[in-house]
Amino acid sequence: MRFSNRRSRAALAAATLAMAAMPGTLAAQDVAIRNATILTITNGDIQNGTVVVRNGKITAVGANVSIPAGIRVIDGTGKFVMPGLIDAHSHAALEGGINEGSESVTPEVVVQVRNDDPTIYRVLAGGVTAALLLHGSANTIGGQGRVIKMRWGQPVDSMYFQGAFRIVKFALGENVTRASSTAPADQRRFPMSRMGVEFTVQYWFNKAKEYDKEWADYRAAVRTNPNAIMPRRDLRLEALSDMLKGELKVHSHSYRADEILMLIRVAEENGFRVHTFQHVLEGYKVADEMARHGAMASTFADMWAYKVEAYDAIPFNMALMAERGVVVSVNSDSPERIRRLYQEAGIGVRYGNMPVNEALKMVTLNPARQLGVDKMVGSLEVGKDGDIAVFSMHPFAGQSMVEYTIVDGKVLFDRSQANTLRKQAATQGPGGND
Amino acid sequence: MVRRLLLAIPLALPAALSVAAAQANNPGGPPLARSDYALTNVRIVTAPGRVVERGTVVVRDGRIAAVGANVPVPAGVVRMDLTGHTVFPGLIDAATSIGLPSPTRQLPAAAEDAPAGGRGGRGAAPAQGGRGQALGRASTPAPPVVLPELEADAEAADMFTPTEAELKALRAGGVTTVGLVFQGGIFPGRVGAALTGSQSNSRLALRASAGQEVSFGTRRGGYPGTGIGSVAFIRQTFLDAQYEARVDKAFKAGTPGARPSNDPLRRALVPAATNTMPAWFVASTERQLIRVAEIAGEMELRNPVVVGTQEGWRAIPALKKMGATAVVSLDWPSPDDVTGRIFLAYGDGRPGTAPPVTAADTAEVRGNAAALAKAGVPVALASFGGESGTTFRDRVRATIAAGMSPDDALRAVTVTPAALLGITAAVGTIEVGKLANLVVVTGNDLFASGTPIKHVFVEGRLY
Repeated sequence: MRFSNRRSRAALAAATLAMAAMPGTLAAQDVAIRNATILTITNGDIQNGTVVVRNGKITAVGANVSIPAGIRVIDGTGKFVMPGLIDAHSHAALEGGINEGSESVTPEVVVQVRNDDPTIYRVLAGGVTAALLLHGSANTIGGQGRVIKMRWGQPVDSMYFQGAFRIVKFALGENVTRASSTAPADQRRFPMSRMGVEFTVQYWFNKAKEYDKEWADYRAAVRTNPNAIMPRRDLRLEALSDMLKGELKVHSHSYRADEILMLIRVAEENGFRVHTFQHVLEGYKVADEMARHGAMASTFADMWAYKVEAYDAIPFNMALMAERGVVVSVNSDSPERIRRLYQEAGIGVRYGNMPVNEALKMVTLNPARQLGVDKMVGSLEVGKDGDIAVFSMHPFAGQSMVEYTIVDGKVLFDRSQANTLRKQAATQGPGGND
Repeated sequence: MVRRLLLAIPLALPAALSVAAAQANNPGGPPLARSDYALTNVRIVTAPGRVVERGTVVVRDGRIAAVGANVPVPAGVVRMDLTGHTVFPGLIDAATSIGLPSPTRQLPAAAEDAPAGGRGGRGAAPAQGGRGQALGRASTPAPPVVLPELEADAEAADMFTPTEAELKALRAGGVTTVGLVFQGGIFPGRVGAALTGSQSNSRLALRASAGQEVSFGTRRGGYPGTGIGSVAFIRQTFLDAQYEARVDKAFKAGTPGARPSNDPLRRALVPAATNTMPAWFVASTERQLIRVAEIAGEMELRNPVVVGTQEGWRAIPALKKMGATAVVSLDWPSPDDVTGRIFLAYGDGRPGTAPPVTAADTAEVRGNAAALAKAGVPVALASFGGESGTTFRDRVRATIAAGMSPDDALRAVTVTPAALLGITAAVGTIEVGKLANLVVVTGNDLFASGTPIKHVFVEGRLY
C-alpha cells in the first residue's frame, strides 16, 4: 500500500490520531469530574460537587471530595453530571435478524449483538451507557433479548451486562396478528386475532407445565429406578418454564388497555408476573391494575397514531402511570431517538408536570430496575458502576448536549475530540487506497 | 510399460533428458498411463522439518515403495533424474467446496409437488412444516423429508463431482488432496476427503464422514428463518441428538419405555453430538467464532474444527477455550470489512470516514494463520470461500511472507489437515506405504516465487 499524495498522508495522520483515541487503548478506569452539578437521582442534586471513579466503580460523590492524585480530571464547571442513561427498548446493534417470525412461539432464540455497529458510538453521544436489545414483535412469544453496556471497542461477549435479567419479548395485538395476513391462506401463521394471541399464550404455558411435570416425574422416578430415561430437553419449553419460575422476565409489547388486562389475567392464572409492559400507550387507563399486578411500564413520550391500536395515546401517559405507582421508563425503540432519550424524559415534565427528578428516573433508575441492573447502575452512588453522562447544561434544557460519556470509568465519548476528528475528516476527506 | 510410454511421446528427445521428466513437466496436463517411477538424485522433504538432501523415492502401484538416501532403483521402473529438484508431500487443501452442490440449491420444481419422502440431495422433497404447526394448522404426518440444508448424513465424498478443469487447477497449485466442505445450509452434510487426480481414471473419494458440518444458515420456508433462529435450532438439534443417543442405548439394553425417534437429522448427528465425530463449524468472523465457542461449551463438544476462521486472530481466547483446530481460509477479507474496523473511524464512523487501509492492516489480515500458529492454535490452510485451486500455493507463500514459518506452513498444508481429515495413514508425508502424492519443484523451496512446479503425482500418477 502506497500513499502517494498529500491528502491521503494527512488522512493517515488523522487516522493515527483517531487510533490513539480509540477506547481500547485507554487502560485506566479512573476519572474524576469536579465542580459540577451532580444529579445523583437517589440522593438529590449536589452543587459544585465531585464524582470520583476508580477501577470502574464510583468511589466518591459529594461537595467535599478530594480527588486522588494522578487520575484524569474533567472540569465540570457549569456542567451537569448524571448517571449514564439506560434505554429499556432498543433494536440497535443487532445482527442475524430482529424477528424469528417463522413461528408464533420462539423463546429459545436469543438476539445477537453486533459489537461494531456505529450506532453504539452514536448512542454514547447521547449519554446512553446501557440498553436492553430486544427481539422484535412479529410473534406472540418472541426471542430473548440482551442487556448490554455500550463498551465500544470491545468484543461482543464483553458487552453483555453481567448480572442483568434474562428477558424475553412477548407481543400482543396488530404486529402479531397481521404478520402473515398477506400470505396465501394456507401459509398464514396462527394467530390471526387477539383471541388467538391469548389462546397461544395459554396453550404454550400449559405445555410448559406438562414439560415441568415430565421432568419432576423423572427426578422422582430416578431415585428408585436407575434405568429411568432422562426426558428430552426442549429449549423452547425450558424458556417457558423459566418464565413460570420468574427466572426469565416477560417484557410484553402492548398498546391497548384490553390486551394489557388480558395478559395480566393470563399471567396470574398461570402464576407468573408480567415484568414490564413495553409501549403500553393505553397504560394510563389501567395503571392501577398494572400497579396491583406489579408490572412496570416502558413507554414512548409522545409517539402515537402510527397504527390503529396506537391512536388512543396521550403525552400524559408517563406521568399518569407514575402517579398511580407504576415504575415508568421512557424508551427509544429507535436508533435515532436513543441519542436524545433525555429530551424524551423531559416531555414528562412538560406534560403531566412530573417532578424533574422523577422524570430523570425514567431514563436511569427505572429502566435499571426493569433490566435488573439497579444495584449496579441508574444513580450516582458509591459502589455503583462508573457509568456517567456529562451534559453542557441541565439535560432537560433545550440546547443541552452530552460532552462526555463514561462507561466503567472509561471516557468512551468526548465531544471536543469528536468535533476535532469530524473537522479533520471534513477538510481532508476520507482518504483512500491510492 | 516403459515401452508403452516411449511410444506415447515424441522420439526426438535430447538423449540427456530422462524419458519421464521430458514428457511430463506439465502438472496441469492429462495423466500419462499408469507407471512405476524412481525419482533419483532428488532432495526429499519427507515431512515438515525432515529432509533427505539427496536420495530416491520409489513409486509402485500408486504408493511409495521406498524412500531414502541409499535406495536401490528396482528394475522395471521409469527412472527420473531430478538433480536440482526437491520433492515434497502433495499439498492438502483442508477445505474446499469445489465440485460440491450448494446446500441452498433450488429443488426441482417437480419434486416440490411430489409425495414426501424423497431426499433433497438426490431427488428433492417438499418443504416440511415448522414445529409450530401444532397450533391451528392441520398437520399431516409426513415421512422423513430432507432439505439439502438439513441433509446431515449427506456425504461430501459421495457428492464430489468436479470438472476436469477444476481438478487440473488444483493440481497446478500443487494440491493433491482436498477436504470437502459444503458452503451454506445448517447441517448440510459430512466432511470428506478426495484426491485431485483425473476423474476419468481415478477413484477420487478418499474418506467419508471425516466430520459433521454445522453452518449458521437458514431454512427455506420455515424455522429457522434467521441467523438468530439458526443458533437456537443448532443448539436444540445437538441436544436432540444427545437425547437420541441416550434413548437408543437404553432401547438396545431393553429398557422399558425406551424408544428412539429415528428422526434422520437427530440420528445423523449422534456421532458429532457424542464426540465420536468432530463437529466442523463454518465460522469466519470474530463474533461467529465466539458463538461457536459458546455452542461447543454448552454441548460439551471436544476439539471442534472451525472452517473459515478469517478473523481468527481476533478470537484467539475463544478458539483456545474450545480447543479448536482452525481451518484458515486463504481467502482474506478486505481489511475494511474486518470486525471492529469502525473503531478506528473518525468520530461517529459514518461511511467514508474510515481511515485508509495501510500495509499494516493488510499484513494483519494475512498474518491470521501465523498469529494462530504462534498462539498455539492448530492450523490447517484452505482455499475455502476463495475456491481457486491455481492460486493455493501463492496464498501459502503470502502467508509465509506475513509471518508464518515455512515449516508451520508446510505442516498446515500436509500433516495437520491429514490428521484432521483422518487420512494420516494415506497422505501428508513421504513414507513407505502412503499414497504417492508428490509435488516436485525446481530448487529447494516449494513456496518461493519463481519455482515452477515441475511434476505432480497423485496416487502414483504423473501429471
